[in-house]
Amino acid sequence: MFLKKTPLNLELQENIQHIKKKLGESSDIIIREIRIGKEGTFKVGIFYIDGLSNTPSLQNFVMETLMIDISISQIENEESPNSNLMKALKDYAMTVGEIKDVANFEDLFTALLSGDVIFLVDGYSDGFIIGNKHVIERGVTEPTAQSVVRGPRDGFSENIRVNTALIRRRIKDPSLWMESKEIGRLSKTNVSIMYINGVADDKIVKELHSRLDRIDIDGILESANIEEFIQDSQYSPFPTVYNTERPDVVSAALLEGRIAILIDGTPFVLIIPALFVQFFQSSEDYYQRAILGSLVRLLRFLAFGISLLAPALFVAVITFHHEIIPPALLISIAAQREGVPFPAFIEAVIMEIIFEILREAGLRMPRVIGSAMSIVGAFVIGTAAVEAGLISAAMVIVVSITAISSFVSPTYDIAIAGRILRFLFMGIAASFGLFGIMVGLIALILHLTSLSSFGVPYMAPIAPYSASEQKDTFIRMPIWKLLSRPKYISKNSVRQKYPAPTRKD
Amino acid sequence: MKKRILFPIILCLFLAGCWDKKELNELAITMALGVDKIDDEYHVSVQVVVPGEVSSMKGGSGQSPVTLLQAKGSTVNEAIRNLTKVSPRTGYFGHLQIVVIGESLAQEGITNILDFVSRYYEIRSDFYLLVAKETTAEKILNVQTVLERIPANSIFNILHTSEHRLSNTRAVTLAKIIVDLEREGKEGVLTGIYIMGDEESGSSKQNVESITPTARLKMDGIAVFKEDKLVGWLTDEEGKAYNVITDQVKTTIGTFSCPEGGKVNVHVSKSTSKLKSKIVDGKPEIEIDIQISGNIEEIDCQIDVTKEETIKMLEKTYEEQVEKNVNQVIQVVQDDFQSDIFGFGAAIHRSNPKEWEEIKSQWDTEFSEIKATVKAKVNIRHFGTVNNPIQENIKD
Repeated sequence: MFLKKTPLNLELQENIQHIKKKLGESSDIIIREIRIGKEGTFKVGIFYIDGLSNTPSLQNFVMETLMIDISISQIENEESPNSNLMKALKDYAMTVGEIKDVANFEDLFTALLSGDVIFLVDGYSDGFIIGNKHVIERGVTEPTAQSVVRGPRDGFSENIRVNTALIRRRIKDPSLWMESKEIGRLSKTNVSIMYINGVADDKIVKELHSRLDRIDIDGILESANIEEFIQDSQYSPFPTVYNTERPDVVSAALLEGRIAILIDGTPFVLIIPALFVQFFQSSEDYYQRAILGSLVRLLRFLAFGISLLAPALFVAVITFHHEIIPPALLISIAAQREGVPFPAFIEAVIMEIIFEILREAGLRMPRVIGSAMSIVGAFVIGTAAVEAGLISAAMVIVVSITAISSFVSPTYDIAIAGRILRFLFMGIAASFGLFGIMVGLIALILHLTSLSSFGVPYMAPIAPYSASEQKDTFIRMPIWKLLSRPKYISKNSVRQKYPAPTRKD
Repeated sequence: MKKRILFPIILCLFLAGCWDKKELNELAITMALGVDKIDDEYHVSVQVVVPGEVSSMKGGSGQSPVTLLQAKGSTVNEAIRNLTKVSPRTGYFGHLQIVVIGESLAQEGITNILDFVSRYYEIRSDFYLLVAKETTAEKILNVQTVLERIPANSIFNILHTSEHRLSNTRAVTLAKIIVDLEREGKEGVLTGIYIMGDEESGSSKQNVESITPTARLKMDGIAVFKEDKLVGWLTDEEGKAYNVITDQVKTTIGTFSCPEGGKVNVHVSKSTSKLKSKIVDGKPEIEIDIQISGNIEEIDCQIDVTKEETIKMLEKTYEEQVEKNVNQVIQVVQDDFQSDIFGFGAAIHRSNPKEWEEIKSQWDTEFSEIKATVKAKVNIRHFGTVNNPIQENIKD
């Protein structure tokens, strides 16, 4: 990692040649040689990358100042010893905010390729990095993956500065700290860790730093790349790192003592530690009235159960446990299954796979063909399969309710876990019936309780159980009753001191 | 290494699966089972649903909603296994609704049937048992029904409703009859089922195509068992009195005469009965304490119900009526059947266990001589939406 750095040359021409050679004479590099001083005494080179730097401001505030505004005599007066020319330029001539010295090629290239302007003077072995980045960005738009009815509509964008600003706008406290690193040998991606000092657990912050420092990869293109490096259980279907594109969700997490990881180039911000129940909590739970928030949250757990188990239960009941279906329903299902050539399990697997194909196709294909596919999909999966006698109507209903339930989840990641495990449970159900499902559920619970996210038990506050935190787990109590922060996450658990809303005494 | 061993072990687990798996379209869903005995052989008839015909989704092809499969064997189980010779699907008894026993077999004894249906793992204990009155079980299960297209469901529901609304039948599940047969000082009863009309045409589709079916099923009388053998039948009125004594009345109606001719009808909304035994002069006696409350539902005579005396008078009349009916059924059972279906013996066993031990061995003769005192108390609460009978207001 720590290579010996190549110092800059004295000769401007040599530096120019070196830079050109290193960059393979790429055509988007602009190298401008100008002369400044009364009689053009000093040869100066200005380097920037077209498109990454802000050209108008470069012309207005750097070149114009140097070439026209400055009376060179001023400089010459100041510069009796040559070495002070740089200082004089810095002090009097550069009408820009961010300016840094540079003395070696490695720093020079990083700055140049980040969009900064490099300023070198002939005869000096150091130069300036002038902060002049201009990033093409999408702007703040409404998040597409996590939408709400009531709540803020801004979403993160690909620019990390915009993202940090969106969070700072919500939490205006000096204890909101941000630590940055560069990850990726080639991509040199800017990664920032944000947390509230004194609320977040220092041990977790330290652990996160050490995990991030261990990453050695050429490029980070999305937060998922970082997530895979730092998550606790690599092969579990359950996510142990949370991601969101909503600034209000990140702010709420920071206030709870969690830590956010912002990565340049993606609107998805990671949050750790991530616990199981967190994936069922939507920011809107807190923006709606408490009763509705609680009921909707319970509904989500129910829907997760349906999306995980509905086909498995159906298969188990109609192949092993006919006695638990009421007679009229049994006869009705039996009538639908007359003439269906496949066993119930195969039927369920076929339907689930068809549905997964439809879903994946719906995601990947060009938007314009969308409506055509949904017609074909709905027709094939719904009507035609039943009428052709391949699939029973009851199975279509079960698969449909399963599919709809899996979309109820406010985060995509936990729905994926349900999707994967559903097939496993269907297999167990077809072999062992309800007993198999019971054993499977026990195994699932064992697995869940064995998980942890950055040292925090994944199933907290259910296991280990914490009575006080049940106020914000399956249900949400009114916000003035939520006195404390999650105790497994934050070391400073007092959120507010007085429970009831202020009243007259 | 650990994982390499674990994986085959997990695969082995799945080898054990599926052995009792049954797809729905491999099953013959049996709703009713009928057992007869002809020439020392058990004849078994099972009513199997034809799912496509019952389902509301497709119209069906006009077949019968059920089919009757028959086989015989030297035991009930053997006969049922022999069904596989005539049925393309395995019989499934988990949703059995009714078991019908032919009258002649019931007279011989029903223990072997009860043993099979209570031992067989698939069969639950919540179906109703009935006795085919004056016919065979096969013929009962061979009648098409309307409203409920599956005859077994139809029979089940008729029995259920009549027990709840009229109380002169008795819906007896397997669990109940076994308890009655095994209990000391108590004998069992079942309800009889009877075919009205033309037995032969009941099976055909024409039976349900006309407004008035040519053959219909009807709950008729209560079959009195002594131990496991059918010994006789109670009439409807006796059946109701039997239900009153044994505290099994949910709701019913009571009919009695006015002093000056005509009838009054009472809807009995609550009827409780307590059996007590006491020893008088070394002999056990039974006291039956009946409490009835109800509302007047129909008056067919000239009385003024707005007066309290009238209500008192009606209550008195009805009390006498109930006492008369109850005494009569006790008389009939004591004289004709000598079977303690009321549970007098059990009542003595409860309150005088020592005396019971002495008379236990000759209880059958003791029962037919035991003295039973009946006391009924009737409470009439409401008389409907009008006060006095319409008759009174009609001008001559």
